[in-house]
Amino acid sequence: MSIERPLWLVVCALAAVLFLWALRRAQAHRSASALHYSNLAFAREALRMRRWPERVLHALTVAAASLLALGAGGLHVPLPHVVHNGTVMVCIDTSGSMAATDIDPTRWSAARDAAAAFVHETPSGTRVGIVSFATGAQLIAAPTENRDSVLAALDDLPSPNGATAIGDALQLAGAQLPPAGSRAIIVITDGVNNRGVDPLTVAQELGARHVAVYTVGIGTQSGGVIPGTGEEATIDEDALRAYAQAGGGAYARVDSAGSLRDVLGRLGRATSIAIAPADATAFCAFASGILFAVSVLFGMWIGRFP
Amino acid sequence: MSALRDALLRGRKRPRARGSGSTALRRGDGFEFSELRAYAPGDDPRRIDWAATARTGDLQTRVLHEDVCLVLAAIVDESQSMSLGRTAPLAEDAAAALRAWFDAADVEDRCMRIAGDTLIAPAMRGLRSAAACLLSPLPRFSLRESLDLARAVLPRGCALLAISDFFDLDDPDDAILSELGARLDCTALLARDPWIDGLPLRGFVTLVDAETQEEQRFYLGRRERERFMRAACAREASLLARFEAAGWRCGVMAEGSGAHALFAAFGLQ
Repeated sequence: MSIERPLWLVVCALAAVLFLWALRRAQAHRSASALHYSNLAFAREALRMRRWPERVLHALTVAAASLLALGAGGLHVPLPHVVHNGTVMVCIDTSGSMAATDIDPTRWSAARDAAAAFVHETPSGTRVGIVSFATGAQLIAAPTENRDSVLAALDDLPSPNGATAIGDALQLAGAQLPPAGSRAIIVITDGVNNRGVDPLTVAQELGARHVAVYTVGIGTQSGGVIPGTGEEATIDEDALRAYAQAGGGAYARVDSAGSLRDVLGRLGRATSIAIAPADATAFCAFASGILFAVSVLFGMWIGRFP
Repeated sequence: MSALRDALLRGRKRPRARGSGSTALRRGDGFEFSELRAYAPGDDPRRIDWAATARTGDLQTRVLHEDVCLVLAAIVDESQSMSLGRTAPLAEDAAAALRAWFDAADVEDRCMRIAGDTLIAPAMRGLRSAAACLLSPLPRFSLRESLDLARAVLPRGCALLAISDFFDLDDPDDAILSELGARLDCTALLARDPWIDGLPLRGFVTLVDAETQEEQRFYLGRRERERFMRAACAREASLLARFEAAGWRCGVMAEGSGAHALFAAFGLQ
């Protein structure tokens, strides 16, 4: 939150305080609503005074005056807004372990379907690209606004085979991103980096470029056996969490196709929404006017005005 | 004789009359003939009318009017709370009721007035005494002090009228009322709250205590106004019940009723 014209804010706040003080004094001296009564103690007991109407009126007036002062001061508040020109690269692990069937039908299929759903849900204007990685990284679809071409490219996703080069995928995806704007990389993997460059170093570089890195670990807690090898697929969660932290993103673990789609949906919203300061002057002026009107009407209703 | 005096005489708290044994208090050891009636056991044999007995063949008793003089005392609230009213101050009604009270004084009757710790007891009798009571300047008023002084100085059987809003009586100790009610023929006129039918303002209202000038702001919504009316009615009913329990004759002096309220308390039109 920031104030564009702090001097105006101070001046308006002082004016509002002076106005309220003068109003209070004027009302204190008003005799029209004064009534002499025989015994104040009896009236006090009989009436059991209600204080909330006056408190509500004060709160309304103070809120209206505060909003007016903030509006005059040029209030800017950070507000989330949909980014229509962002770029998101989805990196899908196609190593041999992605053939494991602990997620129905396979981890690879679930990742591909979730990526397709993600592409569908991203707001228009957001460019989406696909990178697959196993022993090396491969660009499947360059960042584009054309959903159909990305979806068609997903059909060409390589079958599960080979090692896991997370660092190479991050590097390739980072290279596809524009130098400025809202940019994010989502890595869907089930394994441990065992090829190529150090993913943590690449994530740190990306973080320095304000590229958000999100990592999604896929696989059940019990893990799965890599078909044809008899080896158990494991996830290096600590490492994935570290990559996400270095890139200013977040890590999520999924153990079903449904939860993978949910996580990617959330990431889609997170990568397409940015927080930016918005000018709240008009809102403050409008809300202040409404509150002043409400407080005057409320004051008239409870007999405070005129 | 005024109707009010007549009512006071009828209602005086006295032992049973000597002579005729009647409870009608105007009958007793006087000189004026009232009626002739059949002898009843307990009648004074000296009151037997032998001529009438001879005529009728049965014992006949002569019933005479009693010669009495009244002492009319009054306590009228002179505090600022009685200066309130919707159209006219309650004090005007109190003054009208007081005039009617002292107008009941007969030639030999005495009038007294009590205000705070001051007793105004003119040496004259009859209407001159009443006029002196009405015209005498009064000191600061205090209901408690007035009742205390009435208890101390008024003679047994005296007729006492108290007119006030009785806010000072909100102390639940009614011993003094009972004591006065037992010794004197007491009448209380309760000045009705001018706003008992509803406070005239709504919204935020500053109420000013008429006596202390203390101020307090209240919010008077529909519920508050209804609550106030209920409380005022309950207070009035409670005060009337307390006076009746203490042996007082009591009535309500609504705004504009003045002397009528006094007569109504005695059951007179």
